Amino acid sequence: MTITEKIMAYNSGRDKVTPGELVWTDVFSVMTMDYLGKETFKMFDSLGTGDVFDKSRVICVSDHLVPPPTPQFATMLNEWRAAVKAHDIQYFYDLGRQGIAHQIMVEQGHVLPGKISVGTDSHANTYGAVGAMGNAVAVSDAAVAMATGKCWFRVPEQVKFYVTGTWQPWVMAKDLSLHIMGMMRWNGHLIYKTLEFAGPAIDALGMAGRMTLCNMTVDLGAKNGIIAPDQTTIDFLRPVQKGNWDMIASDADASYEAIYEIDITNLGPTVSRPDKLDDVVPVEMVVGTKFNKAFVGTCTNGRLEDIAMVAKILEGQQVHPDVNFLLVPASTQIMKDAIKAGYISTLLDAGVAVDTPSCSACAGIHTGVAGDGDVVLSAGNRNMKGRMGSKNAAIYLTSPAVVAASALKGEIVDPRR
Amino acid sequence: MIIRGKAWTSREYVMSFDMVVQRFWTSPIDKTENAKFIMAGVDAKYDQENAFKDEGYTFIVAAHNFAGGGKSIEHCVTGLMGAGIQVVFADSFARLQFRNAINYGLPFVTAKNVIDMVETGDELEYNLETCELKNLTNGQSMMTAPVAPFVAEVAAAGGLMDFIRQKIKDGTVGELR
Ligand code: SF4
Repeated sequence: MTITEKIMAYNSGRDKVTPGELVWTDVFSVMTMDYLGKETFKMFDSLGTGDVFDKSRVICVSDHLVPPPTPQFATMLNEWRAAVKAHDIQYFYDLGRQGIAHQIMVEQGHVLPGKISVGTDSHANTYGAVGAMGNAVAVSDAAVAMATGKCWFRVPEQVKFYVTGTWQPWVMAKDLSLHIMGMMRWNGHLIYKTLEFAGPAIDALGMAGRMTLCNMTVDLGAKNGIIAPDQTTIDFLRPVQKGNWDMIASDADASYEAIYEIDITNLGPTVSRPDKLDDVVPVEMVVGTKFNKAFVGTCTNGRLEDIAMVAKILEGQQVHPDVNFLLVPASTQIMKDAIKAGYISTLLDAGVAVDTPSCSACAGIHTGVAGDGDVVLSAGNRNMKGRMGSKNAAIYLTSPAVVAASALKGEIVDPRR
Repeated sequence: MIIRGKAWTSREYVMSFDMVVQRFWTSPIDKTENAKFIMAGVDAKYDQENAFKDEGYTFIVAAHNFAGGGKSIEHCVTGLMGAGIQVVFADSFARLQFRNAINYGLPFVTAKNVIDMVETGDELEYNLETCELKNLTNGQSMMTAPVAPFVAEVAAAGGLMDFIRQKIKDGTVGELR
């Protein structure tokens, strides 16, 4: 069996499951956040069970709307806080302790290998980085999971990416995500499937890179992404999780719908061009493209390793005068670590604006939205028209390394040169 | 049950964030409300109150990755239902909205190359039991994928919330597996 089939079988009291089958499984944790949270609790209340299934396993996070940019959002946040309070939720990461929900879920140990967690935001598949099954659901599903500790799932078909070779300098997990997007496109090959990442080049990745890879599987159209837990996972989780977990992995003879082998040695920095995520090219093809906004942050690339990469490239240099560079750490913990490591002062010296952790410009809701005519070079995850604000802005997606190196010149460059 | 009506079609990706544009992502879930600006980002002519609904479609016929783009908001499904859509056919569906459709009892039916036999405005007839889809305008027909028993059960209960309410009432939630 594959890791996914084992997780789904163990958590639904079965010996095995088959792709295509619909099963109800136990859910380890449920995440909801500011802009859908009130609606989720309202739905939950309508089920009439009273308390949530486990007050320490319903995790609430303020991320999309903090700090609030409009009176309307401020009011929405107040209603959300009241709902969280009314349900006596043990883990509430509100402004001051905030971060992007998916980062918080992994970083604070609210997801575990071999378990199933759901969240009311699409990038809940980030949890696959620790060998958990992370699934995005809508508010009805979350409400049902909060009431019953259960959720229904269709057992997905599974596709394996076996990644070998050596990561080249300045090439990051994000480049692999975008490369896979370009390779598979949105024409049905990955839709609804689980993407399992394995092989020596995946083993070599730290938790930040693993999170990026699993995070973007939703943007590839997949159900989720997963990486079997190993020593890296244990070292990462030990400080935040005292409990035990199962080190579930796929059997050597497990069968997949397809297996794709990728040799990372040949992979260079990669860019997705504006409007369609699957319009992916090697950086060489867009070198020289001028832009006026640079953004590093989000649940895809707002981690310490990403900030470290940006600081290393910008150290002792100045961001081009025509570029506004905004960097937003994915959580308060990352912000603290980045300050301790000296990255934040390096960034400020270089002319980068650093904002308090949140989704920030990613969803075009607050802090740093794009206006008419803006060309944004972003380390985020989505680049459809209007994603970051104006429909008349263009968004190029790439890795933090490409964003940083390019920001020095005001046009896209290959960080290897 | 046999459903008859007019189809709206698209060969392009119909993305969730275009079905429900950003200014409505935080709206309360309500079929009538969510229907008002459904498809507003798919075609600018639908960015007017009830513009899509007023065209009176019963079916949507699409190609790959219908309602893709990864938004989890169920407004896409409630909006379509509020606009009178009763069945959506496509080569493939994005999983989040496929889930939502099941949870609300709106059939999302997988039908390979269905887009090749329907044009916008065609009159269709779909038999939910036999899974046969007929295009009354051009005389073509095809068989679609059947609906899973669980999906039918949820739809019969009036959607996931009512399905679960009943289980809670019966004390049988623990038996779900
Ligand atoms: S950072 Fe962007 S993609 Fe991630 S949860 Fe926030 S808005 Fe969504």
